[in-house]
Amino acid sequence: MFRSTNRDEWGFQLFVNGLLLIVLLIIVIPLWRVIMTSLTPLDVYMRGGTPMFQWPWEWSFAAYEQMLTHPTFPRATLNSVIITLCGTALSLFLTVPLAYALSARTLPGRRLIIALILFTFLFHVGLIPVYLLVAKTLGWTNNILAIIVPPAVGVTNVLVMMRFFEGIPEEIKESARMDGANDLQVLWRIVLPLSKPILLTIGLFYAVHYWNEFFTPILYLNDQNLQPLPVLLRNILIGQNFSEYVDYDVSRAASIESLKSSAVLLTMLPMVLVYPWIQRYFTKGTLLGGVKE
Amino acid sequence: MSTKTTRFVKIALIACALTLIIAACAPAPTAVPAPTQPAAAAATQPAATVAPTAPPAPKPTDTPAKPVDIELWAQATSTQAPAPPDDWVGYKTIREKLNLNLKYVIIPTGQDGETKINAAAAANALPDFFQAVSTTNARNKVIDLNKQGLIAPVDDLLKLMPNRAKTHYNNPASLAMAKIDGKQMAFVEVPNLPRREGVVIRKDWLDKLGLKMPTTMDELFAVAKAFTEKDPDGNGKNDTYGLGGFFDGTWGQGNRFAFFFGAYGVPDTWDWDNTSNFGLAVRNPNFYKALVEFRKWNESKVIDPDWATINRDEFRIRWPQGRYGIMWEDFCALACVANYPKFDNNFPNGEWVALPTMKGAVAKPYYNSYGGLGSFFAVSKKAADAGKGPAIAKLLEWMASPEGYYLLGFGVEGVNYKLDKNGAVTTDGLSDPTKAWNHESMARFTQMRNQLIYDNNPNEVLARYPDFVTDKSKKPMSPMAFYKFFSTQTWQDSTAGNLIVNPSNRADLQRFYNENFQAFALGTKPLTEQTWADFLKALDANVKANAWEESARKNLQDAGILKK
Repeated sequence: MFRSTNRDEWGFQLFVNGLLLIVLLIIVIPLWRVIMTSLTPLDVYMRGGTPMFQWPWEWSFAAYEQMLTHPTFPRATLNSVIITLCGTALSLFLTVPLAYALSARTLPGRRLIIALILFTFLFHVGLIPVYLLVAKTLGWTNNILAIIVPPAVGVTNVLVMMRFFEGIPEEIKESARMDGANDLQVLWRIVLPLSKPILLTIGLFYAVHYWNEFFTPILYLNDQNLQPLPVLLRNILIGQNFSEYVDYDVSRAASIESLKSSAVLLTMLPMVLVYPWIQRYFTKGTLLGGVKE
Repeated sequence: MSTKTTRFVKIALIACALTLIIAACAPAPTAVPAPTQPAAAAATQPAATVAPTAPPAPKPTDTPAKPVDIELWAQATSTQAPAPPDDWVGYKTIREKLNLNLKYVIIPTGQDGETKINAAAAANALPDFFQAVSTTNARNKVIDLNKQGLIAPVDDLLKLMPNRAKTHYNNPASLAMAKIDGKQMAFVEVPNLPRREGVVIRKDWLDKLGLKMPTTMDELFAVAKAFTEKDPDGNGKNDTYGLGGFFDGTWGQGNRFAFFFGAYGVPDTWDWDNTSNFGLAVRNPNFYKALVEFRKWNESKVIDPDWATINRDEFRIRWPQGRYGIMWEDFCALACVANYPKFDNNFPNGEWVALPTMKGAVAKPYYNSYGGLGSFFAVSKKAADAGKGPAIAKLLEWMASPEGYYLLGFGVEGVNYKLDKNGAVTTDGLSDPTKAWNHESMARFTQMRNQLIYDNNPNEVLARYPDFVTDKSKKPMSPMAFYKFFSTQTWQDSTAGNLIVNPSNRADLQRFYNENFQAFALGTKPLTEQTWADFLKALDANVKANAWEESARKNLQDAGILKK
């Protein structure tokens, strides 16, 4: 009996670890391939494509150099940072009070408000009405508000945050009220300090969205000085693809594939750097907000 | 930390966040400074005494007192390069000479650009003058915008630009593509060099195997077989294919193998030679013959079997690696200074030579079909109503004048280019070669050149695609020699194909057509006269190809191409 249990346990561990190893490989191999492709020298690539492994002294950073030395790269990066910071700040500024108010079960018309919010989630109006509102009515062409404001409140994020707030014991809030705190003070002094996991998690969701925002800048920002990083990277990559029309002296030191891969990694980098910092809050935040007791 | 300090920190953080938001509402930041072009260059424009497109600059007789604002939306020639900076000498000259405040907005290529135009059209916010971009058919885009009443006729404007009409609008057939109900609804610009692709073969492989240059499809097959099986590169490996190519996502054989079907007289999707019963080329019995032959090549494994799945980038990795002995390629992608060295570095003794149209299969073979049009540019109704039409005409006429042509097409004389004794643009003798007009860092100053400036005159083409000597093999290369050879072959004119309106079920029809074509070509479906006839019937029954053909005939009859 004892042996059998041990064998079962061993088998289970083997199965789970084997499965996790497969999942790990599924994630790591393509990422490794992207990294290697971005570092493959042009002559190596032209001879035989991207090798799966290269020694560090064989690496070429030409693709990164070409991306980073583009004349509008600093401006585009700054634009992306501004959009991400402002967008995330505004999103949290709007999402937190909305989620907090909706978490109060005594809120009059709560179900109706939630239904209306859900309606916008289920039935999207489409591109043209939003364009008419943003560009025509509000006149936000060439204004980064057009990028920041329309997606400022994400329905899923509101609901997840609402569930998190609901999980905070009512007694804590009640005791604050008995000490004379109003609703805003309860939110500011009691709820938010207890909500760091969800604030960081939802903040990250918003930040990733704004950082990767690509289509709306194309639509609303005609001024190239306002274009964010994803648009610039797209333009560089498309330009490299039109090699049959090249009638200028391209000082190409990297392959198109290397450029694409370096663009992917450069875009990922800021978010990858942020993840470890907030990882400890991440699981807690989504789990607590996503489960209803 | 005391409560007061904590509160102060929190308030400060909120203030920072709000400041950022408010700052974001501010107007556009200052432009990125122009890296190189001197602003004072306007005065140094060339006299352009020998420019082939060099009509005299229009006299500024009707210069209004207040500058007219013109917003122009067009794609960039070099998408990876930025737009011209705000202090660009081009803007300055246009303001000073034409009294126009030009604002050039680069629109993206592909679907994104079309979506941007569609959204602006829906909001009645189209710019004054814009490129009517479409991923499928720019003419259809003009038709749509005209139906919505958003663009204005330009017939009167054409009369205001006599010189540009000679250099850029001298092809009535092209202009007719943007004519709707007798009115010219858009300008059709000069296309990027037409008939620029062709068949090339590895001459060094032919010599090594002691083979003659093929002239017929049978000889071509024999050569392709030898290239595949007889180790033409002598590396002892079975790693070469006679023919390389890829499917470009269009119809059936696509552009890369169109020369193969062209040898049977049916290079295009449509059967342009059959004017009495115009329809899809698959109805022509010669198409079936070509497909049988194409299948034979596939079954003999003389074509790279990956052709149906690889894309252009992968194709262009493979041929410089010496994988193919015969291929269809663009002259510049093959032989320009930016592209040829990849092959030359790997095979300094390698040599590509052009092949003519293959004879013998039918009485009237073709090299391929051509039907590319230049960009369509329209004037918005809003701009016309605001009286901006003449200002737009003045701008376009100036762009075709020596001053505008050279400044927007090549930059500043003496800095970005020079004119040689024959009047041709050259970069020889420039004090700073990194400021040459064709240096990548200068591309932002000539972003409009392909869309609105170039007219394909001989001097211009030579300047764009210069001869050079390769670094590795020290071989002299002439891209233009390839272009001249390709462009003078017998091509089928399919320009009128731009008149054919896509059916509503285009995606389904194209998928059905292509899936069956590839199944027949790759041998996964039996190819007999019976199975082919069944496929043609299914084309009509399943995806209504006959209805599209009927509608295509009507489109062409309405335009006077086919008799009613």
